[in-house]
Amino acid sequence: MIRFRRTLPGQSRRPLLRPVLALAIALGLGACATRPDPSDAEAVAEFRLNNDPLEPLNRGAYFVHQGLDTLLLRPAAEMYQIFLPPEVRVAIRNVLANLRTPVILVNDLLQGETQRAATTTGRFLVNTTVGIGGIFDRATDFGLLGHTEDFGQTLAVWGAPEGPYLFIPVLGPSNPRDVVGFGGDLAMNPMTYAGSGQTMEAITITRTGLTALDTREGLIAPLDQVNATSLDPYATLRSAYRQRRVTEIRNQAGGGQATSDLGIGSGIQGLRR
Amino acid sequence: MTAPHRRTLLLGLAGLGLAGLGQGTPARAQQMDITRASGFIQSTGQELVAAINAAGPVAERRDRVGAILRRAVDVDGVGRFILGRWWRTASPAQHQEYLQLFQEVLIRNLSSRFGEYQGLTFTMGRSQARTEEDVLVNTVIERSGSPAFGLDWRVAEVDGQPKVVDVIAEGTSLRLTTRSEYSSVISRNGGNVQALLNAMRQQITQLAAREGG
Repeated sequence: MIRFRRTLPGQSRRPLLRPVLALAIALGLGACATRPDPSDAEAVAEFRLNNDPLEPLNRGAYFVHQGLDTLLLRPAAEMYQIFLPPEVRVAIRNVLANLRTPVILVNDLLQGETQRAATTTGRFLVNTTVGIGGIFDRATDFGLLGHTEDFGQTLAVWGAPEGPYLFIPVLGPSNPRDVVGFGGDLAMNPMTYAGSGQTMEAITITRTGLTALDTREGLIAPLDQVNATSLDPYATLRSAYRQRRVTEIRNQAGGGQATSDLGIGSGIQGLRR
Repeated sequence: MTAPHRRTLLLGLAGLGLAGLGQGTPARAQQMDITRASGFIQSTGQELVAAINAAGPVAERRDRVGAILRRAVDVDGVGRFILGRWWRTASPAQHQEYLQLFQEVLIRNLSSRFGEYQGLTFTMGRSQARTEEDVLVNTVIERSGSPAFGLDWRVAEVDGQPKVVDVIAEGTSLRLTTRSEYSSVISRNGGNVQALLNAMRQQITQLAAREGG
């Protein structure tokens, strides 16, 4: 059991995350956002629409995240972008996406989306074989276009409420439903149970690390843009994340064929262009 | 996802949206024809791409883009929508200044990225009617070296002319995101609209610096 816990992706983050969370809580000091004057109907409506009653806490977490991102995450992603040629990065992205397909398939099925489940199965079979372990996305050439799906979306389809908006350092924008979904996706990932031992552990760590690098690399341009042009990047990200999740839950591809099936399924990759 | 579930969820979201947005859609908007809307986006898009890719100094191209945007976008309507509940608390002089700054931000946001947008192409995607008032026209934007992405244009009829009232990138509406951003700036400055205007003015200076002129 201990071995199993140690192989969980995300575990490697924990030593970092704990003091960060403590600091975030200290900064926010358990503060809740000041509720608007109940007589001001428009202010109340906006407060409910933003769905961010923990805003002071979240802004603290965002501040911590920005620090970590500036010092560690973005530079690492930049190195990744500079030192690896685009072909290699695309290959890595494809392999990671292929490794995610079993989780997407389970979620397709849990949502009763048989058509999409068939597409996901087809993608996995084609890309794993013809695409040589997922290096090449040949399924797209066959007209099998990828889509994302995660347990956070499944919970939404099942009618679970979103809960208050949360900003989690390193992971980004979220909410309790997506946090539970993130755990659910880990639990339904076959690789979580693929055994223990040093090789498996190394594979899991590599995969987690590459997923983080790939996700952040894909976000360099859009996040730079948000930080350069938004008068309040925190509010912009909150709004963009929540709108994007609604579109994803509806399975209504905002951009048709342009939607990708990458990333960790926390939703923030929706900002990718 | 099963249909009834989805519908409940959507209705809930729509309800929330309506509560928050209030009288967002201008009353002067009328029924919009799909063919007309997509034709309008096609020609406006071509004009924009031509202006962005044109040779010549940045300032000249910016003026051209500015003229197209002023003609094609319902700048006053969108600006008013974005300021939302703060429109009432602002003075007429602030309204004027805000709309002026908003238009400038819109144009400068594009012109500061002319370099990145070089060689950009766009193709028409599927087109669909969204509500009784406006049409959502789908386009696919392609740039060399980055994956294609979908961009939806919300087109409404304003004073007899088709006008862009929103741009939606991969499910994220620009006017909703900006509304959230601006409102947050004002709220965090104790409900002072002037704080937003100052921030916008500063932003325009920064964007101008990025564009190098």
